[in-house]
Parts: sequence; C-alpha cells; structure tokens
Amino acid sequence: MLIFDQLRRNDPKLRAVALMVLAGLGILLAGLWWVQIVSVREYRESLETQSYRTVRIPAVRGKIVDRHGAVLAENRATYNVSLYLEELRRAFDKAAAKLMAAQPDFARKVLAQEKKLGRRLTKLEKRELRTAYNQDKAALRQQARYQVASNVVFQIGQRLNQSVWLDPTNFERHYQTRLALPYPVLLNLDSTNIARFEEQSTSPIGVDLEVQSSRVYPFQTTAAHVLGSLRHDNSSVEGEEAFFSYRLPDYRGVTGIEYGFDKQLRGLAGAKSVMVNNFGYRQTETIWSPAEQGSNIVLTVDVLIQQAAEHALNAVFGPTTRGAVVVMDVRTGDILALASSPTFNPNAFVPSISKAEYQHISELQAEKNRATYENYMPGSIFKTVVGMAALEAGWDPEAMVHVLPNPNAPDKGHIMVGRRKIKDLAAPGDYNFRRALKESCNTYFITAGLRTGPERILRLAQRVHFGEQAGLPTRQDARGHLPTLDEIRYGWTDGNTANISIGQDPVWVTPLQVTILTAAIANGGKVLWPRLVDRIEPPDSVFGGQPTVFARGLVRDTLGVQPRTLKILHEAMLADTEDKDGTGVHVRDPDPLVGLRICAKTGTAQVQDEKNKNTGHTTWFASFAPYEQPRWAVVVMVEDGASGGGTCGPVAGRVYKAILDRERMGNAQDLAHAK
Amino acid sequence: MFEPDLNEHQRRVDRLQIAAVCGLMLLGAAFVYSATMGRESAAAAPFYNQSWFRQLIWYFLGAVAAVTMCLLDYRTLARWSLLAYWVSLVPLVAVLIPHIGTTHGWGAMRWIDLGFFQFQPSEFAKLAMILAQAHFLSRPVEELRQPAIFAKALGLTILPFLLIMREPDLGSALVLLPTALVMMYVAGTPKRYLIQLVGGVCALGALFMVDVLFAPPNWQIFKLEDYQQRRLLVYFGLQYTPPAGASQADKERYRKQQFDDSHNVRQALISVGSGGLTGKGWRQGTQYALGYLPRAVAHNDFIFSVLAEEEGFVGSVLVLTLYGAVLFSGLRIAGQARDRLGRLLAVGIVTLLFSHVFINIGMNIRIMPVTGVPLPLLSYGGSSVLGSMIAMGLLQNVYLYRKAY
Repeated sequence: MLIFDQLRRNDPKLRAVALMVLAGLGILLAGLWWVQIVSVREYRESLETQSYRTVRIPAVRGKIVDRHGAVLAENRATYNVSLYLEELRRAFDKAAAKLMAAQPDFARKVLAQEKKLGRRLTKLEKRELRTAYNQDKAALRQQARYQVASNVVFQIGQRLNQSVWLDPTNFERHYQTRLALPYPVLLNLDSTNIARFEEQSTSPIGVDLEVQSSRVYPFQTTAAHVLGSLRHDNSSVEGEEAFFSYRLPDYRGVTGIEYGFDKQLRGLAGAKSVMVNNFGYRQTETIWSPAEQGSNIVLTVDVLIQQAAEHALNAVFGPTTRGAVVVMDVRTGDILALASSPTFNPNAFVPSISKAEYQHISELQAEKNRATYENYMPGSIFKTVVGMAALEAGWDPEAMVHVLPNPNAPDKGHIMVGRRKIKDLAAPGDYNFRRALKESCNTYFITAGLRTGPERILRLAQRVHFGEQAGLPTRQDARGHLPTLDEIRYGWTDGNTANISIGQDPVWVTPLQVTILTAAIANGGKVLWPRLVDRIEPPDSVFGGQPTVFARGLVRDTLGVQPRTLKILHEAMLADTEDKDGTGVHVRDPDPLVGLRICAKTGTAQVQDEKNKNTGHTTWFASFAPYEQPRWAVVVMVEDGASGGGTCGPVAGRVYKAILDRERMGNAQDLAHAK
Repeated sequence: MFEPDLNEHQRRVDRLQIAAVCGLMLLGAAFVYSATMGRESAAAAPFYNQSWFRQLIWYFLGAVAAVTMCLLDYRTLARWSLLAYWVSLVPLVAVLIPHIGTTHGWGAMRWIDLGFFQFQPSEFAKLAMILAQAHFLSRPVEELRQPAIFAKALGLTILPFLLIMREPDLGSALVLLPTALVMMYVAGTPKRYLIQLVGGVCALGALFMVDVLFAPPNWQIFKLEDYQQRRLLVYFGLQYTPPAGASQADKERYRKQQFDDSHNVRQALISVGSGGLTGKGWRQGTQYALGYLPRAVAHNDFIFSVLAEEEGFVGSVLVLTLYGAVLFSGLRIAGQARDRLGRLLAVGIVTLLFSHVFINIGMNIRIMPVTGVPLPLLSYGGSSVLGSMIAMGLLQNVYLYRKAY
C-alpha cells in the first residue's frame, strides 16, 4: 500500500501500529462483508417481517344467474364506517400526555413513598415501583386511546342521528392485533346513512367510508337449495399465497352451486402489503397482486318456474311442507326447477348465521335438498319400471288380471303372496294394463312382477341408474338404493319381488332420479345426465375469453325398450290424468290447463318405522307433457301427503300452468331480444 | 496564514488527508440529512434548525478550529499541554455535579448545557490527555525506564479515565486505554512494563466481566449501572437471569426487557444487513424512517447503519477507505515528524480515531458491545465534530513542522 510503504522501513514500532490499524480495518471489512453480502437475505427477511404486513384481499365472487339472466346471487357494495387509527395516532399521544400530566411522575412517586415509609427505598422496591408505574402508564395510554376513539365515534353517531357505541374490549383487541387495518365502527350502512355521512364535506379526522363487497341473494329463499350457502372462511386455497398477516372477510361455498363451482365463482384472491412503522401503525399500502373477479355461473333453472314450484309446494301444508319438485326438459336434461321445502334464506349466512336461525334450520332439516339428497320409497310410480320390464318380457297388455275383494273391506281388493296378504286400493274386478296403471292396481303389478321376475325389473332400473348418484354439482346428491343382482339370488322371496313391484322397500330413490326416469320414458328411452349449469361466463364478457358451455342432452344410458312398450305406457299414463277414474285427474284442479295433455303416474308409498308400523305416506306425482311431443317432466313429492294424486297432482298442475305462462311470455321476450 | 517554509519542495499540508476528511464530512452531512428528514416534525422546522445544517456549521467551526491549531508550532502548543490537561478535567468534574451536568434523559451525566450547545467535555479531555501524554513521554528514552515515570504516565491516563467512567461513559473511557498504551509503546517504554500493564488490564477486565456477567447480585464487586450490565449481557448474547423464585410474570418481564434492550443492536444489524451490496439509495432506507432504528440515535451513534442501509457494502467500503486514508496518512505524518513529541502526538491521535471507528462500526455489526462512542466526523454532534477537527488540525500541524529531508 502506498502510504504503508512510505512509512520508514527502519521504524518497526510505527509499522506495528500500522499493522494493527490495518488488521482492525480488515476485521471491520470482513464483518461488513459477512453481514451485508453473505447474510443479506436473512436480514432482508427480518426487515420484511417486521415492517410489512401482508393482507389477503378476497376477490369479488361471481354471479349466479338463471337461464334468462335473472340474477340469483350477486355482490353488492356495502359501506362500513371505519376508523383509520394511524391518523388518530397524534390525538392518542396528546390525550395520553394530558392524562399523564395529571399524574405525579416517577421521581415524585418515589419521594411520596419514601416519605410514607420514612426511609429511602431499596433498589428492589424502586424497581417494583417502576414496574407498577409503567403498568399504570400503559393503562393510561389505553384509556386515552379509547377516549379519543369513542369521541370520534360519538361524532359519527351525531352525524348519522343514531347512537353508536364503541366496544372497549373489541377496540383494544383490534388495536393490539390488527393495528395496520382500519377499525370498523358501523357495518353495512344503509343508503340514507351513506347520504348523511357524505353530505357533510368534512368528516371527523381518521374516519372514512370503507367499501366491502358482500354476497346478496335478491330472490331471498328462491332456489336456495340450488344456490347453496356460504360459510365465513378467510383461509387460503390451493395454489395461493398461504402466509398472510391479516385476511379480509371471505366466504367459501358449503352446499349447492356455491360449493360445486366455488373455485370458478371465487376468482383469485389478491394480496397487498401494508408497511407499518415500529408501533405498527400503517404507513403505506402496495397491492402486489390485485384480486381477480370470479366467473359467473348461468344456470338452466328458470326462476319463474322455480318460484311457481316453490309456491305450489308451500300451498300444500304451508312453509313447513316437506317435499320437492323437479322440472326437467326431457330433450336436453336441463333442470328448469329444483325446489325443496322447507327452505331457508341464504342471505342469513352472510356475514354469519345467528344461532337461533341455525337452530331453526336444523330442526326443520331445511338445509337438506329433498329433491336430491333424501331417499324415498317410490311407491306406485315404480310400476312404470315394472310395467316396462313386464311388457318387454312378453306380458300381454290386454290380458286380464282378476282382483279379489278384501274380506275386511269388500270394495277394495287384495292379493295373497305366499301367506302374506297385500292390500289393494283398487276395486275388485278385471284389469288390463291401462286400467291397472291409471287406477294403480297393486294386484296387477305384483302378478306381472312375479311373472317377469326381479332380475328383469332390476336390470331396467339399473339402466335408469337408480342406486347411483345423479351427478349434480351441489354436494347434496344421494344414491338411493337398488338391490343388487346378487341379493336376489340368495334368500330372495316372492314377497320381496312383490314389494319392489309396487315400489316399496328395498327400492329407494330421490325425486331427481324419478325425474330422470320420467324424462327417459317421455323422450323415447334416453336416460340423460341432469344439466343444472348451462355455462360458465368469464367476469369480463368482452375481453375475458369464451364462456365454457356444458353440452346439452348428454345421454348416460338408454332404457332399451321397444317403442311399442313406451307407446303403451304413454297411453296408460295419459289415461291417468284424462280418464275420470284416473288417479292423476287432480292435476287439473287449480287450472284446466287447456290444450295440454299430461301423462302421469301417481304414487303413495307406505312409510314404516322400525316396528313395521305405518307412520305416513310418501306421495308422488311423476308426469310429463305434452303427450304428443313431450317437452317437460314434472315430478312432485310430498312427505306425509294424503295421496299422490290428491296431494301432489295440484302442485304439478300449478307448475304446468307456470310453464305454459312462461312459454307465452318467453316467446314474446325472445322476439324482443331478436329485435 | 502559514509560516513560510524553509524547504520550497515540501508540501505545506497533507492533501490526501484533507481530501479524505472532506469526503467524510460530505458523507456526514448527507446522511445526517437522510437520518433526520424522515421525521415530519424535523422536515417542518426552518432549515437553520435542522440537524444537517447544524452539522455543516459544526464542520465549519471545526475547520476554523483546525486551522487555528496550525497557527502555532505544535511544540509551542505542547508547552501548554499540562495546563490544557488540568483545564479539561474541570468540566469533567463539573459534569458530575447535578444541575451543571445534564443527562439528556439518558441516565448518564455526560453533557453540560450551554444553551445553544450541549457540551460533552470528555471529547476534549481525550485530546488534552493525548497532548499531555505526548509531552510527558517525549522525554529521553532512558527516563522512561524509571518506574516512577511509568507510574506518572499511567496516572495521566487513569485520572480522566476514572472521571469519565464516573459519568458513566464506558465507551469514551475505554478508548483512552489503547491510546495511552500505543503511545507508551511507540515512545519506547520498556516492554516488560507494557506486558505487565496489558496483563494487569486483561486480568482485571476478565475479573470484571465474570463478576458483572455471572456473579450473583450481592457478590458483585463492581457496581455497574443496570443498563450497562444489560448491554454487556446483550453483547455476549446471554440470557437475563431473573432472581431465583421469580414469578412467571417476572420471567416474562425479563424476557421482554431483554428483547427491548437488544432492540438497537438487532435493528442496526437489520439496517446494515438489508443494505446488501449497493444499498437502497439515499433517503430510501426504511429502518429509521419507520422508527425501527431508534430516531434518537440514528443520526449520531448509529449513523453508520443508516449509511450502510442506503449505500450498501459499497458505501461501507468507501467509508472504511476514507478512514483508512486518514489513519495511514496520520501514521505517515508520525513517521515524518520532526521530533518524538510530534511523532507521539500523531500516533496518539491516530489511535484515538481508530478506536472510535473500530468500536462504533463494530457495534453496528455486533462485533463490539453498544457503547455511546460516536463515529468521528460522520456522527451528528458538536463536541464530537469539534474534537475530531481539532485532532485533524494537530496532525496537520505536525506535518507542517515536519523534518526536512
């Protein structure tokens, strides 16, 4: 080194000093190298952890609309009045200083204590006094903060003409744990209050409106089971940043479409980082990834038909009616309505459901979609399957079966299967296929069923995919139950065959499965996948890309029966609503439904408890229309109804009325659209 | 201003050193600005009340003082050295008297409030000690062999050392020891004295450390202030030990105390470390702006952290280079000095500066304990700047009157 060499060679002492200085600077250089170059990442991380708070920003949830665009679920901006604590910091400090000025300082306290004791304090006593003093000071600061904040809140209250109260515990907790975020004082301001708040140009310091997006279901209870419900859940999902200091309120679908298409609806949560100072007050904010709005879901449901179905169900026993209605387009599998009663209001789950309300829902089991998530015995509507199986097996539809009178009730029939007597609601006499179906004659179908054998019946039922999930994305998708072919080989009796021939245990179905069966009968044998979602639309309709459209009329299986069989069945089902003695005539009770020819089969399954005691009836009405060119399948199920025809028929009638109304209106609307 | 020199070829001043000092002053002003202007209240003050401007004024006054130092031959100055020594002890005693000395709210009586200026007498006592020591040790080498002379030289050091310890200001007191030691060594004090001295100091130091750090409270011979003991514990990375049978809350309190006490060191390290190679840019540092690096110390004792955060390793190396230039040119001055007095004076000043630099930068990267030692010329503070500039003036004085080749 230049300077170093200039030191005279013959001066070893200065050289030694120079070496010492050089070594010292070398040590510093090495230390700095270690800290600034080698460990830089470690220190940068500590810097970030201490001065940045990351916040998860949930994306705006996508809309759910019906097939014509009516909005069933959307997001509305809600306005909260929030306190921005960093702006109040100076006021906090001032108030605290004022409070502290009124208190004796530490030296005075020591003096006072010494005077009291008459001696000097020991070091330990002084330290204890200091601790107590510091605790008092912290308490004073807390008191000062609350004072300032509650004053501001009082001003807000005056402006809004309502008393607003600041909860001290809540406020302190927020201060201690979420200081970097604004403190919400008033949630969900209504429009009057927003106007009141905004009309005064200057708001108290540190107060501002904060906009939040919140889920709203404009049709309230309509299609609640299809839409499903949300649960408060701020956690990160897969493929998302997992570590956040704070999370803003977010929701996750629990049931229904909200669950099934949660991923699409949810969008992509964003993240921002808040730089905080050493006290934790917010300094600046940077959004590093903005939230991306979720996609919109277009349902196949028609809200008018859905509402009609729900009203019709309600008309049976009021809002506590336990039942379901499914309307399906038999050509495409589109679900036009999927109603379940009792129902709930999905709005109640946002932001969180009250305990009382939750209890109410649980007691009624209202959260359960009875159309898809409860197994019922099909009763007489299963006779359509038995009938088709028999006809396919060569059963002559014109062959007569004689029904013997029941000794206990001579105007009703009965049949002996082995030593067991099975009652028949049909009158004694001779029955062919048509009469048997429309009067729902047990004797006839048990005879036909026994002749056909259980295997043929079950094979046909398997092709309808009874006992399997229908493939609905709503989480509530029950399988039902169908005996397997193995089960009928061992220990299977004629009694069992008789039972399934009239749709009793062990055959269990959901109303949706019955609808799929009915639609298959109507459309010439195609067992369709039910279609509840038409398409997923990107949030930005212009630049967001193409919507994902789900294929219509996806065939899952075929009935594999001859057209002749279906024709015979159609005619018999038509007779059920059009002949005077048909069980389905009540479908025209609410409205004559002029010009609409309806094919139907009613059912009344006996429900028994564990002791084989009858506890009630599951009543059914499975139908399709028009007879000439079937378009709609309408299935109604009511628990504890009086009879399929009497209880469920009128419900179906009301639904058909709505469908016809919709048709007339829809055409007009479509024309308007075309223009 | 300068007396005409007999040798026309000789340069009048050591330009390299002056350039390095100017560089340090520029950095000092820039980073005092950076470390204080982040505060709103500071930025709102009129410019003449702002730290950077005051620092500039101190640099100017310091430069005037340095030039004044060069007006008289250092040999003339040295004649007054004993007087200066005793005079410098007066404020050191005065500062210990309540109402004259102020604590600045820091718990140690280090300052005398002169109204416009908080005067820190220890900064000047160090220089007076060096001057007196140089004068005393410049006697013939044979005399230095006498134990009495050695004892007197030792006494010259110990007196201000004890007074400064009493304030207490451990850091300022400690820098006196290596300074005096190196001066004695260069003066030619016999090695055995020095070895005995170093051995004695080390033994005493070790005893002291063990006593402070590990002895139970009533066994402690040295009564350090609470905060000093804690600083040492923090430096050695030791846990605070609550008294036996302390409650959970007490233990909790001790832990929190430890966390708080190591706060400055931790934050200084984070500042320096997060600077990386090139730093975040002037005024872009966040550590002091957000208050993690305490604002009260960011512009004086921890100014290096601010610089290292904003200019990175490159800036750190620049600072070390500038100090290296000052120190080695100082040693060169010592080598070229006309007589032993000049040589000892230069060596003393270089050692003092070096000790300051080493302790201060060392505490920023945690290789030295935290003691309130300013970084010469960079740290904000009138006494420190004035003291450093007078020291620079003395060095130049020795250079001016060096021997002719």
